[in-house]
Amino acid sequence: MRRGLSLLALLLVWEGLALLGLLNPLYVPAPHRVAQVLADLFSEGTLWPHLQATFSAAIFGLVLGLLIGGVLGLLAALVPWVAELLEPVMLLLNAVPRVILAPLLVIWFGIGLASKVALSLILVSVLLFFAVYSGVREVDPRLIERIRTLGGGRWVLLREVYLPSVCSWVLSQLKVAVGFAFTGAVVGEFVAASRGLGYLLSFAQSTFNAALSLALISLIVAFVLFLFTLFERLEQRLLAWKPQASR
Amino acid sequence: MLKVERLTLGYGVTPVLEGVALEVAPGEFVSLVGPSGSGKSSLLRAIVGLVTPQTGQIIRGLELEEIGFLFQDDALLPWRTARQNVALGLCIHGVPRKEALEEAEAWLVKLGLSGLSDRFPYQLSGGQRKRVALAQVLALKPRLLLMDEPFASLDAILRTQLTRDLLSWVEGEGVSVLLVTNDLEEALSLSDRIYLLSKGPRAVLRRSYAVPFARPRDPVGVRADPRFGRLLGELWKDLEEVVLCGAA
Ligand SMILES: Nc1ncnc2c1ncn2[C@@H]1O[C@H](COP(=O)(O)OP(=O)(O)OP(=O)(O)O)[C@@H](O)[C@H]1O
Ligand SMILES: [Mg+2]
Repeated sequence: MRRGLSLLALLLVWEGLALLGLLNPLYVPAPHRVAQVLADLFSEGTLWPHLQATFSAAIFGLVLGLLIGGVLGLLAALVPWVAELLEPVMLLLNAVPRVILAPLLVIWFGIGLASKVALSLILVSVLLFFAVYSGVREVDPRLIERIRTLGGGRWVLLREVYLPSVCSWVLSQLKVAVGFAFTGAVVGEFVAASRGLGYLLSFAQSTFNAALSLALISLIVAFVLFLFTLFERLEQRLLAWKPQASR
Repeated sequence: MLKVERLTLGYGVTPVLEGVALEVAPGEFVSLVGPSGSGKSSLLRAIVGLVTPQTGQIIRGLELEEIGFLFQDDALLPWRTARQNVALGLCIHGVPRKEALEEAEAWLVKLGLSGLSDRFPYQLSGGQRKRVALAQVLALKPRLLLMDEPFASLDAILRTQLTRDLLSWVEGEGVSVLLVTNDLEEALSLSDRIYLLSKGPRAVLRRSYAVPFARPRDPVGVRADPRFGRLLGELWKDLEEVVLCGAA
């Protein structure tokens, strides 16, 4: 609520400054201009194929990244030689800004959907790898002892200790993963593409169209915020057992 | 019921315990006292197989599943409520889920935790968590009960109530108990026998005391017995000696 109000205030000041002619409309177009551009994009129907491209890249990247990262993380946690093989690679990938791979991926996979999916997949899967890997390895050993002395076997351990522990790590990273998936898709399109929001952004840049740029940025922000709130709800429901401060 | 022979165990080169021998007969209540760090918890962990001894033997006259182990710390599954934590043990032992939850509730009430069963561990106090852990163990109706300082962090009234209830339950069911405690009066008022460990590393069993009070026993009333004071004095003196001699 508060945040909504302060955003509104910012927009009003911005609009006011533009009305007074204090802002150069070429660089900083007034909010109503941006809204107009956005509305046009939707009503003309030109936006849909771009939205579709970005969304499919992000969703595919997210789902595949979660899957691949999760499986690799699990393997590394369970099989020592897999860990020795993967950990250095993952640490390296984690340390560098992974978007620098974008041009390479375009060379490998072409300017179509595949290179965007690949980029968001890499961004997401490195994140997930570490979430699952640490989720399994940093299980509280005392809990394992408890279950053992209560007579529980491997299956009970898996269900009652490992799974919840990994879930809590993964859930806390899920929001970030969604952000990463979109970053991957948009940056990939920005580098080389014929469709997508990233492509539109680079088009706006090359035609010096600040209004279009801002319109696209606010669109992407709105989508990611929407997904964030969705996942936050999910997290709050599933992680009710955590003390508030550490969530 | 349980026999430990010439047990030596440790985590590194220097053993924590050396040549320890003790015995718990069926229906017997045995206490283990000794300085902090002397290896009391380690001994209990060895008995249920969480630590492998370097030499010596542990002869269990019963199945592992019939041993109830209350750990010194109160780690419960953080993602399960108090009731679910207690029910878990029952479910593992084959009780259907619904019955397990009902039985768990009954145990929580018995331990003075009514109204708290739907809380998660982080929403409970240290003493409350400890009692949830106790309920978890007792609900399985063990024939041998190993308890590592179960009554620490409880207030005096609650502690008295709880020990009284526990003792009458133990006497009624004929359960054998091995209790680790730092409270000499508690050890005296509850047990049939007390073992004193010396200071570690290389802690040995310094002495064992037979406690003469009859059963069934009132753990509070027994303190009025003149022999109680005498035994307590003796225990106190020996423990002091053990602690100070280790320090010298
Ligand atoms: N996992 C471990 N690895 C290495 N050393 C350990 C481990 N657990 C305990 N020790 C050491 O073994 C010794 C005995 O520990 P233990 O917990 O059995 O003592 P205790 O008699 O239960 O003490 P307290 O009364 O303080 O609980 C201590 O010196 C401790 O530092
Ligand atoms: Mg201990």
